Amino acid sequence: MPSLKDIRNRIGSVKNTQKITKAMKMVSAAKLKRAQDRITHLRPYALGLLGVIADIAVTKRVVHPLLSSGKDPKKILTVVVTSDRGLCGGFNSSVIREIEKRYAAEKSQYEVYDFIFVGRKVANYFENKKIFGIDKILHVAKDISYGLSNEIAEKLMAAYQHGEYDEIRLTYNEFKSAIQQNVITEKLLPVDVNESGFVKTNSSQFSEDLIFEPEPTEIIDELLNKHFAVQIYRILSESVAAEHGARMTAMENATNNAGDMIRSMTLTYNKLRQAAITKELIEISSGAEALN
Amino acid sequence: MFTLNVVTPEKVLAHRVEVEEVIVPGFRGELNLLPGHAPIMTTLSEGVLRYRLKGESKQIKAAISWGYCEVSPSGIDILAETAEFPEQIDFARVEESLKKVEKELDHISDLDPELIEKYQRKAKRARVRLSLKDK
Repeated sequence: MPSLKDIRNRIGSVKNTQKITKAMKMVSAAKLKRAQDRITHLRPYALGLLGVIADIAVTKRVVHPLLSSGKDPKKILTVVVTSDRGLCGGFNSSVIREIEKRYAAEKSQYEVYDFIFVGRKVANYFENKKIFGIDKILHVAKDISYGLSNEIAEKLMAAYQHGEYDEIRLTYNEFKSAIQQNVITEKLLPVDVNESGFVKTNSSQFSEDLIFEPEPTEIIDELLNKHFAVQIYRILSESVAAEHGARMTAMENATNNAGDMIRSMTLTYNKLRQAAITKELIEISSGAEALN
Repeated sequence: MFTLNVVTPEKVLAHRVEVEEVIVPGFRGELNLLPGHAPIMTTLSEGVLRYRLKGESKQIKAAISWGYCEVSPSGIDILAETAEFPEQIDFARVEESLKKVEKELDHISDLDPELIEKYQRKAKRARVRLSLKDK
């Protein structure tokens, strides 16, 4: 049976924790807003790029090593995107679960099955399991910028072009809303022009006599590189937004739970206090009785 | 209607504004685009984008770096890596970085053409930005 003082202390500590979770929720909410803005700003650019690629694909048939050849890939590189910090609900664990499932199921089918880890959580987890990524990238959420994702994109592109890998995938949390994040695995390279995204934008107003400066083959080369970099940036932004969303929800829940705990503990505390008072009264009155 | 869109990965500078004349730093030098221009697609180099809104005589300028320009009968789409209006540029910082880059260029010992090109591009970007000062 805990004493009155113990309960009082516990209530105090839960209250402090509640303050922290509340503050974290507010911070995440503010950051979420900014991350969301970034995604909305990026969208017109990404769509513009898709449009240009579609236009080139329409006007001339271009064959390019970055475009899908229909061959079965042998060497896979998966980039796993998580966060550096915890306390964000199932954000990291759902990605880890997905990767473990794939790793167990697909490892034997391919010659090479490598990872790049983005975010400390997933890197630590897999290092403990003795699965080492060929690279890890930390502090993404803090200073996510187009420059940083460009660097990552160039690195991946170089690895792909040197033939170290023939398929590059990204696993990340897609930002649906503040309370919903979906784990998604997307194939980024080779680029599949027949995919829905390209066909949709094919309402091109160009004919074949579109003037190109420089030659279309050169443009498409740069363009696909660019497209890739933008996709990476979009995915990182999505993951950051999803992280803040997940943390916000998790902290909201934690704050509510702390409230419930405080309520039930206050009840016990009051009951105990009343019992103690009653006991003392009985002792006094029975003492008085004995004197008479 | 002849409209101009200027977008970068981080922001939208102009969204469907009606223009009379646009001058872009194209792949083979400056391109002056007027309504009715033949469809063209070109890459852009570092330079100054200038455009005149419909019914106005003042040119609006913006420093842009590498990107794409697509001209269709209905307007111009510009996808730039970066694009800034003069009032968005921190000139003191640009000057400083230009000095740094020029110093790097002087001190490059090995003749790695890729590295030199990278720095030259950086220097050019800084000079383009500086050219917008006080104008």
